[in-house]
Amino acid sequence: MGLAKYIIRRAIYMVPLIIGISLVSFLVMYAAGDPIQLATAGNPSITEAQRQFLREYYGLNDPIPVQYLRWLDHFVHGDFGKSLYGGRPVNEIISSLVWETAKLQLISILLAFFISIPAGVYSAVKQRSAADYTVSSVAIFGISVPVFWFGIVLILVFSYHLGWLPSAGAHGAPYLWPVFGIKNEFLDELAHLVLPVTVLTFANLAYNVRLLRAGMLEVLRQDYILAARASGIPERKVLYKYALKNAITPLLTLLGLSIGAMLAGAPVTETVFSWPGLGRAYVTASLRLDFPLIMGITMIITIMILIANLITDLVYAWVDPRVTID
Amino acid sequence: MNLLEIENLKTYFFTEAGVVKAVDDVTLSVERGCTVGLVGESGSGKSVTAQSVLRIVPRPGKIIGGKILFNGEDLLLKKEEEMRKYRGKKISLIFQDPTSSLNPLFTIGSQLADIVIEHEKVKKEEALDRVIKALRIVKLPDPEHAIYQYPHQFSGGMKQRICIARALLLNPELLFADEPTTNLDVTIQAQIIALLKDLQRELGMTLVMITHDMGIVAEMCKYVVVLYAGNVMESGSIEEIFERPHPYTEALLKAVPRLDETRKLISIPGNIPNLIDPPSGCRFHPRCQYAIDLCKEKKPPLEDVGNSHFISCHRWRELQGGRS
Repeated sequence: MGLAKYIIRRAIYMVPLIIGISLVSFLVMYAAGDPIQLATAGNPSITEAQRQFLREYYGLNDPIPVQYLRWLDHFVHGDFGKSLYGGRPVNEIISSLVWETAKLQLISILLAFFISIPAGVYSAVKQRSAADYTVSSVAIFGISVPVFWFGIVLILVFSYHLGWLPSAGAHGAPYLWPVFGIKNEFLDELAHLVLPVTVLTFANLAYNVRLLRAGMLEVLRQDYILAARASGIPERKVLYKYALKNAITPLLTLLGLSIGAMLAGAPVTETVFSWPGLGRAYVTASLRLDFPLIMGITMIITIMILIANLITDLVYAWVDPRVTID
Repeated sequence: MNLLEIENLKTYFFTEAGVVKAVDDVTLSVERGCTVGLVGESGSGKSVTAQSVLRIVPRPGKIIGGKILFNGEDLLLKKEEEMRKYRGKKISLIFQDPTSSLNPLFTIGSQLADIVIEHEKVKKEEALDRVIKALRIVKLPDPEHAIYQYPHQFSGGMKQRICIARALLLNPELLFADEPTTNLDVTIQAQIIALLKDLQRELGMTLVMITHDMGIVAEMCKYVVVLYAGNVMESGSIEEIFERPHPYTEALLKAVPRLDETRKLISIPGNIPNLIDPPSGCRFHPRCQYAIDLCKEKKPPLEDVGNSHFISCHRWRELQGGRS
């Protein structure tokens, strides 16, 4: 079975999935309410005729199947339509926000992944030691603590009281944040990243460490680990080569899922830090029933998740020779 | 000088339920170039003894006392890095289950070559050549191709050949084979036993055969050490042990089915004791048909009863008198 053939087949399978998900989202969205009613609710001077005109203008009066097919037609041509608020093209809105979210999430996810490796291995090797309990406690704290609370605490301490780091936004321009007295765009961007990245890394780290610790504990009991030790392989290599490769698969699954869902992953953190990201835009769009924007972001997330799942499966087959792709 | 002398070895497991005295005061010696059988039921401390010699007893196990003299040097006094150089190079271990003792995610070539590289600091190509040679010695078909394959692509018997090759890679002086045939089909068992016998003879290696199969002992070993519940019951030449066995060994022999005899198999009543709180005195006394009060009160010492036969039993001499 060729790799290319496999990827093509998986891509073909994605088509009905994407259509199905878009259809369900579309129906659920229409069941949620009337966006025109919602948008004009605060305006006492608007008349029903004007509302009707707006509905007609946005094509909301057509039968739902017609509306869906029209949306689908635009979608396959790469056009998500225009936002109901302000009329900016959805493509433009998404492309202006996607990078900020991806930057924040990718850094946090990868940081959490790479920190969890030594932490998880160490905690498994030193099972039931003070170090293990410390790592586990920190991990459980990370899982249990609400993201918004932790974010606000960090803002209070490091922005409000200490004044070391900016509390909001992704960029300070035109007023660049001074890092040790130096002002430039790169350092400014970095300074803005520190607090939200800390919050997200901490939340991701917790799951990663718990998963890896459990996997390592399981693997370290296996005969092939004892056999590697009995053959005089140095302990470091036994742990980080022979054991880790066997224990890391659940972590790769989580990594794939996190990267797939990353664009939708952090609305709360983005809101706390006023981050100009897609997660926050998604929540806002949902509250306002901004149909084209909701559909646009939903489809981007869907496609990302499907691609990430495919990549995860390929990585699996690459790590474990017993897994065959067909 | 014997190749291996174990004196009063104690390896305990510090579990949450209590201290498991898996190996308690084990003394034995292995003569260079011999095949020695280490016999006992499951849980008698055979495997832990071998793991103690290599100092790879898994947590929460710990060697808490005794001496392990290898070529006269006490391995328990070695630093970890020094000890690492013994493992696989001077002393090797073959495991019971070949499937679980090969790492499923690495090719045969890469996991075996790593051992050569770690000990001899050679290049990968040279290490792979050594691996191919070792695979040829254990008669694995097509070793040049096999090094690029993964463990799951081989049958159980082939995997055990690979494990034997791994143990022989650096020509160790001492090889422990920990029930190497238990998880294999009967026909494959015979092949592996024949292979080990040939290798031992050709390479002049010292082999410690860990088993509960008295048939294998009779076929392969010159000397036998019988363990029960972490204690040595007896040790001696194969003839001595079959002729004048300890009551435990006697019971063990009666439990072996034979083709040339039609008699009832006699199993040993009871179970192997809980080693957190082992029986007082002789550990076998609750299951021994000859036990008297003394056996419960006092642990019998391991005594030389002549012909290098060592016995730990209060009543053995008396029973021999009655028998002959």
